Amino acid sequence: MRLPDWAWGVSRVWLRYYDVFTKSIVFYAVTTFVQPVLYLLAFGVGVGSLVGTLTVSGMPVTYRAFIFSGVISQTVLFSGFFEGAFGGFVRMYYQRIFQAIAITPITLSEVLWGELLWDTTKATVAAEAVALIGVMTGDFAPLSLLTVLPVCFLSSLLFSGMGLASAAFARDIDQISYPQYLLVFPMFLFCGVFYPIEKMPYALQLIAWTLPLTSVNSLVRTLTLGLPFQFWAVPILFAWLTLLVALSRRAMFRRLVK
Amino acid sequence: MPRRGTSHRTGAAPRGSAIAERVRASRNSNAAGLTKRTDPADIGAMSDAASPPLRVTSLSKRYRLEKGGEFEAVTGVTFDVAAKECFGLLGPNGAGKSTIIQCICGFYPPSAGHVLIGGTDVRTQPKRARQILGVCNQEDTLDSDFKVRDQLIRHATYFRIDLRTAKERADRLLERFGLADKADQPIESLSGGLRRRLQVARALISEPRVAVLDEPTTGLDPDARRVLWEVLSEARRNGMAILLSTHYMDEAERLCDRVAILHKGRILDIDSPQALIKNHIARAEIEEEVRPGVIWKRQPNLEDVYLKLTGSRLGVEGL
Repeated sequence: MRLPDWAWGVSRVWLRYYDVFTKSIVFYAVTTFVQPVLYLLAFGVGVGSLVGTLTVSGMPVTYRAFIFSGVISQTVLFSGFFEGAFGGFVRMYYQRIFQAIAITPITLSEVLWGELLWDTTKATVAAEAVALIGVMTGDFAPLSLLTVLPVCFLSSLLFSGMGLASAAFARDIDQISYPQYLLVFPMFLFCGVFYPIEKMPYALQLIAWTLPLTSVNSLVRTLTLGLPFQFWAVPILFAWLTLLVALSRRAMFRRLVK
Repeated sequence: MPRRGTSHRTGAAPRGSAIAERVRASRNSNAAGLTKRTDPADIGAMSDAASPPLRVTSLSKRYRLEKGGEFEAVTGVTFDVAAKECFGLLGPNGAGKSTIIQCICGFYPPSAGHVLIGGTDVRTQPKRARQILGVCNQEDTLDSDFKVRDQLIRHATYFRIDLRTAKERADRLLERFGLADKADQPIESLSGGLRRRLQVARALISEPRVAVLDEPTTGLDPDARRVLWEVLSEARRNGMAILLSTHYMDEAERLCDRVAILHKGRILDIDSPQALIKNHIARAEIEEEVRPGVIWKRQPNLEDVYLKLTGSRLGVEGL
């Protein structure tokens, strides 16, 4: 079977990333999986033993299960953003990989899709690994591995787009600190990873809902813990997804194509 | 010719117009040199097979400036490169050479004009056009995540070349460019000159009909430069067309069938190096004080033409 040209181009770029990945799999395993495992241990076991059981949206949930599902979203956020932002910046600016591939029959558009989809793949796999730990500890139903997959994939694409857009706008690599401290860390702390946002004042809850991670957390918890479905999370997720993917591509084109 | 050029040295604009005048005059006196120029109106009528490997028509490129406003880097550049031909793009830094090359690759969209590679417009059908194009950028774009041989093989697969062919070609090129003993080394272990060789080899791995080489020999030692010249000659015998940008005039004079001298985004003149020398340099012999008290007598060369047309202060006086 011969793939259409564009699909072949995107997959070729994706494969380049995959080949680099498999060459230094230990490095990637450590950098990708150690962090969520540390969070799981510190908060799930440590803080979890202090808190015990929470009531979220009127349902009782153990803090450990709550934090495990939160760490799925956190993994998607960190893995997607940092790979897109720092990895993307290095590949675009220092290695000039985009420029090198986009003068072959593979176009810049395909290179950028390959980049986004690779970052997305990596973040999705990392998030699923966290979900697997949750299944093994008995905190999630086994089926949730499957049901949470589309949310992991879409939100990984969303945060990869956020990362790649940051790389495109950053004049030098230090400037990626702006979105990191102004967007990623606030989301990490205030969008319901560590505690239910309904414990915050109403105004803060509204702000939290404007940020994409709150919707990701909500959907992940619906699918892993069976918490009530907050339907508005879906349009918020898709709006951010569309915006950030389009922005990352546009900004990269603007930066590279004069 | 009188020593007129020297009297305008401080003012760029008057000198530029004086040059344009002289160039026009020289073109008129050399009608044969104009025959290879192509009328843009002919393009639509030409079929794929009849069209030259590379055709650039009325190419202009304006950049948006960050402060606002625009800057025209290339203005109305037109030339063809025929099969087996080596065409040189000469000009000082900032003359627009790399901009033209970026437009040829289809990476930058032209503000006006067209680039046809094998008759295919690179903007509208980039995949098809670039399938027969090999590019060596001026800057280092080697993929540092892969070793020397893998680098070439991987690049070949971007052209949908099957793995076996890619490996054969990679080994042949590594051998040819003196990189065979480095095949399994990481890119970082290579010196600047070796990296340059590898990047040129990479541009040739797809056996392109058109090779675009942006300062390929910068940083190469004389030996490696010779090797590259030989490789390019071989490839030309097999029909490859070459667009070469270089700052080495001896190299251009040696390799290029025709050269375009570019200044401030415009082509001042296009012709064979011999014709350019004949048309622009009146003297049969040049005397030059190369060191205090040491005078060399030599025949005029392409560098004299280049310096005269692009108006360098360092030019030999009284040409």
